[in-house]
Amino acid sequence: MKDRYVLVVIALIVIITSSWAAAQQPTPGTVGGCPTEPLAFHLCALDKAKTFNPPRTPSGKPNLQGHYRARLAQSYSFEGVSGSEPQFGAKIMPWSLSPPMIVDPPDRKIPYQPWAASIGRVGENYYKYLDPRTGCAQAGVPRVVQQDPNQILQPPTDDYILWLFEDHHMQRVINMNQRPPLGDSIKLYNGYSRGHWDGNTLVIDVTNLNGYDWLDDAGNFHTDAAHIVERLTLFDPDTIHYQVTLEDPKAYTRPWTIVWALVRQKQSGFELMEEPCREGEHDAKRIIRELGVKYYFGESWRGH
Amino acid sequence: MRHGFAFALATAVLLVVPIEAAARPPAQQAAQPPAQPASGLPRTPDAKPNLQGIWQVLNTAAWDILDHSARLGVPAGQGVVEGNELPYRPEALSKKRQNFENRATADPDSKGYLLGVPRIMYMPFPFQIFQTPDYVGMTFEYGGAYRTIYTNGTPHLKGPLNFWMGDSRGHWEGDTLVVDVVHFTDETWFDRAGNFHSEGLHLVERFTLADPDHINYEVTIEDPAVFTRPWKMSMPLYRRKERNVQLLEYDPGLLSDQDQAERERKKTN
Repeated sequence: MKDRYVLVVIALIVIITSSWAAAQQPTPGTVGGCPTEPLAFHLCALDKAKTFNPPRTPSGKPNLQGHYRARLAQSYSFEGVSGSEPQFGAKIMPWSLSPPMIVDPPDRKIPYQPWAASIGRVGENYYKYLDPRTGCAQAGVPRVVQQDPNQILQPPTDDYILWLFEDHHMQRVINMNQRPPLGDSIKLYNGYSRGHWDGNTLVIDVTNLNGYDWLDDAGNFHTDAAHIVERLTLFDPDTIHYQVTLEDPKAYTRPWTIVWALVRQKQSGFELMEEPCREGEHDAKRIIRELGVKYYFGESWRGH
Repeated sequence: MRHGFAFALATAVLLVVPIEAAARPPAQQAAQPPAQPASGLPRTPDAKPNLQGIWQVLNTAAWDILDHSARLGVPAGQGVVEGNELPYRPEALSKKRQNFENRATADPDSKGYLLGVPRIMYMPFPFQIFQTPDYVGMTFEYGGAYRTIYTNGTPHLKGPLNFWMGDSRGHWEGDTLVVDVVHFTDETWFDRAGNFHSEGLHLVERFTLADPDHINYEVTIEDPAVFTRPWKMSMPLYRRKERNVQLLEYDPGLLSDQDQAERERKKTN
């Protein structure tokens, strides 16, 4: 019996390895010449973007192609870590002090409707369900964008943008050719992504989300009614200002916005490796049984 | 357990791929003369045939790459293997038979694994091709898989490495995209019938746009640990023409978890 608990602990340690990698403390200094506190970074980067002329593709579109890695993003909680959380300083999977990544609303908290606040934010989700990412589900949008390196490809035909992720071997296809909406009853882990250029900014409109993913380790969430808008803006040759606005009439009282940086990987010959998860978490069933948690398949399972 | 990159590396180091497969330059492996440049083909701005779009096979190779009669849930089908014969070594043939007997649970498709190449190419699900001068990207509805085919002149990674989807390096011979693939695992199969390979699998794929809506796809399979000689499959890929065609998601592993969770929920309610 004791051995089984040891195995669970070992399993947990392995599971969180990549979370830790993505969750390093913000490095002192600057990112793209901007401060590292997310709100200060946000204002500075948008200001720089006003005068920055990005490299162009042959057809004249901003050229975002390359390999990137997230900065100023921590995986614990988009609301930041203040030190009062039970995971702060924990022996296993400790969280470290982090500023909120939310830049709007001004209180930098997720504007949950009352019923939802006790479910996200280290609430019911965190204590009663298995983090879907631990169970090898697609990390979802935008969580996948902060894990491990990614690569943006822009075919010269300008009809699609392909966004590849090392984490869990995931990919997103961004439709750039004004395709019609998908039927409402089709729900997808990563949603249906349609993009367009707003000046030098790539704007991605994501609909048809199934709401089976979490936003962060704290169990913050959206439902299948969510609509996500991502904005990618190069504001210096190697840094993208990445902004995500989430609205969800079932769960939030208003839209809210998070920001982090995507920094170009400049090592010569850098390539994405294959880091798949389709073979599943072999210990998921044991973890579920021993910790008394359940698989998470969205808010509708709770009857809201 | 799969999360840690460290674990992936450790696995890669333990499972050794023959180095010679990786070291051989792709150009020597596909010595066929370049296809005649066809006129009237759609082309990318850099004058390569434009393979972009959403494609799908119309055959039964995912169930059995050889001629086969119908089985429950499996349509009868004509094989896609040249000569309709696989040159198994004797000990490998008995493993193939064992795989067939256990296919309901042993097939990587039943386990929700990434299916590897070439099987992912002929699953009955759509896939999409993207082209830039340096890369050909492929995304697959089945399992949300993707392939990156490097056409930027870079060689295979040194290895040893075990990638479910292999390490793909491509170049153009006339109007044909030729792709050399190595660094596989031995955990994927060619089909539901249990046809299999080792991690020493080496593929040479040829993608030739026959007309705007058809790609002739050929793949030569070399795996000396399992087969006595190289062999070849070929099949057309058909362009999906529906006006609203779009890759969706089919992830058997997640669907199976969801199915189990549904059953448990019903039990407790």
